[in-house]
Amino acid sequence: MSYTRRDFLKATLGASTMLSLASGAPNILVRAASAGAARRDDRDTVLVVVQLSGGNDGLNTVVPYADDEYARNRPTLRLQPKDVHKIDSYLGFHPRMEAFSRLYKEGHLSILHGVSYPNSDRDHDGAMRDWHTAEPEDPNCQTGWLGRAADSVWHTNRKDTPAVFVGPIVQPFGLRAEHVIVPSIQSPDDLTLDSTLGESQPSERFRADKDNPLLNHLRDCTANARANSRRIKAIAKAGASTAEYPAFRLAGTLRTVAQLIRADVGIRIFFTELGGGGIGGFDNHANQLGNHCSLLGHLSESLAAFVYDLEKDKLLDRVLLMTISEFGRTVKENGRRGTGHGVSAPIFLAGGKLKGGRTGSHPSLTDLDNGALKFHTDFRRIYATVLDRWLGFKSRPVLGRQFEPIDVLNV
Amino acid sequence: MVGQTEKPPDPRWAWAAYEPDADRPWNLAQAGHLYRRAAFGANWEQLQQALSDGPQRTIDKLLRPQAETAQFNRTYDEYEAATGSVDQLRAWWLRRMIQTPHPLQEKMTLFWHSHFATNAAAVKNARLMQQHVGLLRGQALGSFRILLKGILQDPAVLLWLGAEANRKASPNENLARTIMETFTLGPDHCTENDIRNAARAFTGWFVLRSKLRYISREHDNGEKQILGRSGNFARDDVTRIILEQPATSRRLVQRLYRWLISETAGPDEALILPLAESFATDYDVLKLVETMLRSNLFFSPAAYRRRIKSPAEFALGIVKALEGTVSTTQLANDLADLGQNLYNPPTVKGWAGGQHWINSTAILARQNLASALLRGSGPYGDKLNPWGIAQKHGCATPESAQSFLLDLFLQGSFGPDVNDALLKTRGRQDDDGGGRTRSLAHAIVTLAEFHLA
Amino acid sequence: MSLKFGSLLTLVLAFFVLQSVAAGQTMPAATQWIPGDAVISLELAQPKVLLDLLAGKKASAFVKALPAYQEQASKPQFQQFLAILGYMESELGTDWRRALARLTGGGITLAICPEETVILIVDAEDEQLLKRFGEMLLEMARSEAEKKGQPGRVASTQYRDVTAWTFDGKEAHAIIGKRLVMASRPEGLKAVLELRAETWGDNLASKKDYRAAKRQLSRGGDNAVATVFADLKLLMQAPNIAGLLKQQGENPLAALAFAGIVEAMRDSNWLGLGLAIEDQTLICRASVDGETVARTSPASFALPKEPGEGALPNLIVPRRIAAFTLYRDLHQFYAAKDDLFPERTSGLIFFENMMGIFFSGRDLTNEVLAQTRPEIRFVVAEQQFDPAIGTPIVKLPAFAMILRLRDEEQFDEVFEEAWQKAIGLVNFTRGQQAMPGLIIDRPIHNDTKLTVAYFSTAEIEDKTELAQRFNIRPSLVMPGDYLVLSSTDSLARDIIDALGREIERTVKPLAQTHSLLELEGVQLASILQANRQTLVRGDMVKKGSTQEEAEAGIDLLITLAKLLESLKLSIGMHEGTTEAGLEIKLNL
Repeated sequence: MSYTRRDFLKATLGASTMLSLASGAPNILVRAASAGAARRDDRDTVLVVVQLSGGNDGLNTVVPYADDEYARNRPTLRLQPKDVHKIDSYLGFHPRMEAFSRLYKEGHLSILHGVSYPNSDRDHDGAMRDWHTAEPEDPNCQTGWLGRAADSVWHTNRKDTPAVFVGPIVQPFGLRAEHVIVPSIQSPDDLTLDSTLGESQPSERFRADKDNPLLNHLRDCTANARANSRRIKAIAKAGASTAEYPAFRLAGTLRTVAQLIRADVGIRIFFTELGGGGIGGFDNHANQLGNHCSLLGHLSESLAAFVYDLEKDKLLDRVLLMTISEFGRTVKENGRRGTGHGVSAPIFLAGGKLKGGRTGSHPSLTDLDNGALKFHTDFRRIYATVLDRWLGFKSRPVLGRQFEPIDVLNV
Repeated sequence: MVGQTEKPPDPRWAWAAYEPDADRPWNLAQAGHLYRRAAFGANWEQLQQALSDGPQRTIDKLLRPQAETAQFNRTYDEYEAATGSVDQLRAWWLRRMIQTPHPLQEKMTLFWHSHFATNAAAVKNARLMQQHVGLLRGQALGSFRILLKGILQDPAVLLWLGAEANRKASPNENLARTIMETFTLGPDHCTENDIRNAARAFTGWFVLRSKLRYISREHDNGEKQILGRSGNFARDDVTRIILEQPATSRRLVQRLYRWLISETAGPDEALILPLAESFATDYDVLKLVETMLRSNLFFSPAAYRRRIKSPAEFALGIVKALEGTVSTTQLANDLADLGQNLYNPPTVKGWAGGQHWINSTAILARQNLASALLRGSGPYGDKLNPWGIAQKHGCATPESAQSFLLDLFLQGSFGPDVNDALLKTRGRQDDDGGGRTRSLAHAIVTLAEFHLA
Repeated sequence: MSLKFGSLLTLVLAFFVLQSVAAGQTMPAATQWIPGDAVISLELAQPKVLLDLLAGKKASAFVKALPAYQEQASKPQFQQFLAILGYMESELGTDWRRALARLTGGGITLAICPEETVILIVDAEDEQLLKRFGEMLLEMARSEAEKKGQPGRVASTQYRDVTAWTFDGKEAHAIIGKRLVMASRPEGLKAVLELRAETWGDNLASKKDYRAAKRQLSRGGDNAVATVFADLKLLMQAPNIAGLLKQQGENPLAALAFAGIVEAMRDSNWLGLGLAIEDQTLICRASVDGETVARTSPASFALPKEPGEGALPNLIVPRRIAAFTLYRDLHQFYAAKDDLFPERTSGLIFFENMMGIFFSGRDLTNEVLAQTRPEIRFVVAEQQFDPAIGTPIVKLPAFAMILRLRDEEQFDEVFEEAWQKAIGLVNFTRGQQAMPGLIIDRPIHNDTKLTVAYFSTAEIEDKTELAQRFNIRPSLVMPGDYLVLSSTDSLARDIIDALGREIERTVKPLAQTHSLLELEGVQLASILQANRQTLVRGDMVKKGSTQEEAEAGIDLLITLAKLLESLKLSIGMHEGTTEAGLEIKLNL
C-alpha cells in the first residue's frame, strides 16, 4: 500500500508541476495529465447519491403520455404527447429533460420503475427518515444506511474518509454514522490545506513509533492529508478550464464531486442534494408545472454535464449515480395546480457500467394505493445492489438482512 | 518515564498514589499530561506553578479549586438562560470551558454528555437541553446515583428516546433498553425480558408541555421480574436494582478509564475490579476520578499520550496555552465540522472517539482550524498572539520562542528532524517576530503529538 | 523612531487629506497627469469645507470624548506617533496643522490604476516648505535604511528632467515646483512624468467618460468638495466584484430589494460621485451613465412606468427607527422568477404551497400578486411594552409592510381569509408540538378593524423577562385600499393614523424614485440601548471578547448611532440614467 501510495504521490506531483505550466496548453494535454494522476484500481468504485428533496412527481418525470388516465387526472399539469421526449409508444421524458433522453439512448441512464417500500410513510420527515435509515420498522434507528456502510469498512481503511456530503444544507441523516466522521463540504477547497501560515511542517512519514499505535495512525493520516490536498489542488487548477457545467447549484456540486473523483482521494460515497433541504423544492402542492419543470431541467442538465465530464477522462466506468426521493405524488392533482404526497416513483441510475433501459413495469394508473401509484420494488433492493455489486461492501450487516439485488449493472 | 512492563501492571501498584522519585520525577511533561487529562490544557503559569507545587497539590487544586466556582457557574447559567437557541448554548459552554476556574468539572460534564448522549436536534427545545447539561454539570463530580435518577426524570432524555408517553398499554422499551444497555449495565448483562419488565416499571411517566408528569392510572402495578428480582417495581426500584449490579460499576469504571487513562487497549479486568468494587459502595464520582488521577498508572508510560484529543480538547489546548478567548460561536461550528457537534452527539452511544476522530480529512480540517485560530485575521481575529505570550514569558527572539512554544504545547524533546524543520518555518516577510511565531505555533500544534492527550 | 517608514508615509498622507486650504495654481490640472487607465480617482478640490465638519472643534471634541479614542491615546504607539509629529514640527519650523495646510493648499488627487498602482498628487501652497518636507522625508528614509544595514534602499534617478526618488525599489516620488507626486510603484511615477512631458499616453482629464461624469456631477451645482470617478468597465473585471454581481438567483428578497441597481452597474461605463456639505449634512450623489433598465428586462418591475410615478413617501410613525419605500411591481417580479432567482429552494416552494392554501388555490402570480399596486413600504419602530402584559428580555423592534390593493372591494375579504388561515395554521402546528397558540382579537381603531393575534401572558407570573415570541402580536388592517401587515397591533394603529393623514393630504409619489431608505439615529441608539445587555453577551461569544471589551464596543456603536441624526438613501432615474443620493445629517 505504502509503495503504491508513494508512486501516486510522485505521479501527482509530476502532474501538478506540468499543470501549473499548462494554463495555455491544449485541453487534451491537461486531461491526459490529470487522467494519468488517477489511480487505476477497478475496486475503487464510487457511488454518488442525488437526493431530490420534497417527493418527486414521477408521473410528470417519466410521463405515460399515451395513457388516457394520465390526461384525465391531470387537467392543468398534463404534459402534451408532442412535447415529451419519447422513450416508447407509452412513456416519455418531461419536455425539459432532453439531456436525460440523450443519456438514456446512450445507455448511461437507467430507469427503475415503481420504487418505494411497504407501509410507506406519507409524511416528509418520516418518509425521508425511512429512506435514510433504511429501517422503516425502527423509528428509533439512529444511523443512516450510508453512515453504517462507512462504519462497516472502517477496519479496512482507517486513513481515508469513506463518505462526504457535498452541499450547502445540513448533512442528511443517511450519512449519520456511529463511528466514522462524515464531513460536509461545499467545494474542493474545503479538502485542501490552508497554507497561510506556511507548509514547512516536519514530515510525518519517517517518524514511526512502534510503541504507540495512536501516534502512528495520526502520522499516517497526516501524510495522507498532505498528499490528498496536493492532488486536489492540482486537479482544481486543471479542472476549471476543461469541463462545462451549467450555472445551477446542483451542477456546481457535481463539478466538485467530479474533481474529487479525479483527485482520487479515496472517497467512495458522495451525497448531494437538489431542492434545498428542509421540506424540499419537489414538494409541489401548488403551481407545480413551472417549478417542477425548473427542477427537472436543473437535474437533467447538471447530471448530463457530470456524466460527460467523467466520460471525457474515462472515469465514468468507476462511477454510479443514483437519485432518491422520499415518495412520489398523487396521480390526481389537488385543485391548487399541484399534487399531494404519494408512494412510488422511478429511481434513476447513471454511470458507465449500466445495463441500460428500464427495469420493472410502469405502475398502473387505475390500481392505486390511496390515490398514489403502487410500488413493486423495495428501495432497499437497490441499496443492496449498490452495496454488494457496486461498492463491494457487504449489504447484509448494513441493511440488517439480505435484500435481493437487481440486475441492472454490467459488472 | 520508565517502568513500563510487558505484562499488565499489578493493580495494587497501579492505583497507589504516585510519588515522584529519581526514576519517575515530577517534571514539565507530567504536569502537561495532568492538565491535558484533568483540564483542557494549561498555560505557562499553570505549568510552572504545577512544577513548584508538586503532583499532590496540583491535583488537589484541580479536584477542589479554591476559586468561586459556584458564583462563576451561576453567572454562566444566567447567560445561558437568556439565550433561546442551542447554537448559543454551544457557544456559552465552550466559553465556560475556557474561562472556568474548575476545568475538571467541565471535562467531566463533557464525559457525561457523551455517556448520556442526548441530541438537541431530536429534543427541539433549548431550555430543556440547558437543564440537561446543567444536570450533568451538577453531578459531574458528584454522585452517579443521583445523576442516574436525574437522567430518568429528565424531559430532554425522555423526548430524545421517544419516551414522552410511557403508557401502561404500550410501555416504551427504547427508554428501558437505553438505560440498561447503554447507560449502565451494558448489552451482555440484561435480557430482553429484563428490558420489557423495566419498561413496565417506567410506565406512568409523561412529558407534557415540556414538563415531567406522573399519571398514576397509566402506571403498571403488576408484578415484574428484573435482573433476578421480582416485585411491584416502580421507576426508582429499577435504578436501585441496576446500581446493585456489579456490571454497572464495572462498566462505568471502564469508560472512565478510557477517558482519563488510556484508549489504546481495553484494560485488564484485574485492574478495573478494585476500583469498581469501591465505586459500587457509594457511586462517588469525585473519589473515583481522584484515585485515577493520583495513581501510578496515570503517571506511567501506559497512560502518557495514550488518548486522542477530541476536537474540543485540540482547539481549547491551543486557546488555553495562549491565554486567550476566541469566538466560541465560530468554534462551535468548526468543532461540529470536525465531528464533535456539542449538544448533538451522533447516537445515544455518544462519540466513539479514539482513532475514529482521525482520518485524513479530519486531520486536514484540524490543521485548517489551527491555522484559522493562529493566523491573526479572519473569523477568529487576532485574539491569540503567540509572540506576545512568548515575550511575556521572557523570550526576546523568535528563535528562543521556538523552544518556549515546544515546551508550552508539547513539553517534550524532539529529534533533530523536527527541530530543523521548525527552524525553517518562515513567517510573512518583513515582520518583527509576530508572523514567524504564528507559523511556528501552527507547525507545532499540527505535529502528530499535539493531537494526543 | 522605529515606526516603519511605510506606515509613516500613510500617516502623513492621511493628514494631507485632512488639512488643506484653497489656493490658486498655475500648473495644469492634476488629472492631466493621471493616466487614462485609472480605475478610480478621488479629487479633493475644497477640502476646507469637509475639514470644518470632520476635523472642526465639535468633531474633535466628539472624537476625543470617545472611550475608544482614549484607549488608543493611552497606548505606546500613539505616544510614538506624537513623538514623530513633534520631530516633524521642529524640522519644518511650524506646527503640523499649519504645515499641512500650506503643503496641501492646492488640492489633492488620488488615483488607483491597474496592477495596484496608486498615484497621489498634492499641490502645495508654499514651495519652500514642500522642498524642506521632501528633504526631511528623504533623511528619515535614509536613517531607517541605514539602521537596517541597507543604505542602498533610498535611490534617486533623473527622468525627463525630474529627480525621482525611490524607496526600496517600491514607493517613488518627485517634487515638481509646488507639486508633490507619489506612486506606490516606480512605473506609476514614470507614467505621470511621461504625461507631464506630453510624450506618451492618454490622461484622465481628456478621457471621454471622465468628462461625461464631470458634466453630470456639475449639474448639481459646483459645490462638491470631493468627487470620485470610477471606470466601471475596468472595475467590473476585478474578480471579486464580478463574483459579487453574479451572486443573484439564490435569494428572491435580494432580487426584489436591489432590483435595477446591479443591472445599471453592469451596463454602465462609469460612476461619478460628488460630495457636498451643507451645514452639518453630508450630501453624496452618485450617477452612472448606463441606460435605465429596458422595459423588456426581467428587472423592469422596479421601473416607474409613467413620468409622475414612483415610490410613495415614507410613513411617519412615533419611535420610527427606519422606513423603506419601494416602487416594485410584484406581479411582474414574480412572473420573471425563472430569470431573477432560478433556484427552486425549499423555502420558495414552501412559500408557494402556503400561498396556495391561504388563497384557496388562486394562482399566486396572476390572481394574487396582480391585485397589489407597485407601491410597497416598510416601517420599523421601537416598541413600548405594557407592564401589565409583560416585557420580553430581548426587545425586538416592531415592523410592518404596507401595500396597496387594486380592487379592495373584491379582495379585502380574500386577504382577511388568507390571514386567518395563516394564524390558524400556526396555531395548529404549535398545538401539535404542545406549545401555546395565538388568540385572535378584532378591536377597532379609528373606524378600522384590526385582526390581531397574540400570545396570552395571563398564566405567566414573572412578566418582566418574557420570551422572544412576546415581541410579536401579528396584525392585519386594511384601511381604504391599503393593506397593512404588522408585527404588532400598536404599530398597526400608528400606521392607521399615519395613513389617515396621508389620505387627507393626497400625497404625491416621489417621481421616478424607486427606492428610498430613511434611518433615524437617535431611535436606533435607543433600541440598541434597550438591548444593551443582550448585545454585550452576544458579542462575548461571537467575538470572544471580555465583558468589558464587549461593553465598550456596544457603547461605541450607540454613540455613533447618536452621532447620526438621520440618513437618507434614495435611488431612482434621472433623465434616462440611474442616480443615487445619500444624505447623512450629523448630530455634533
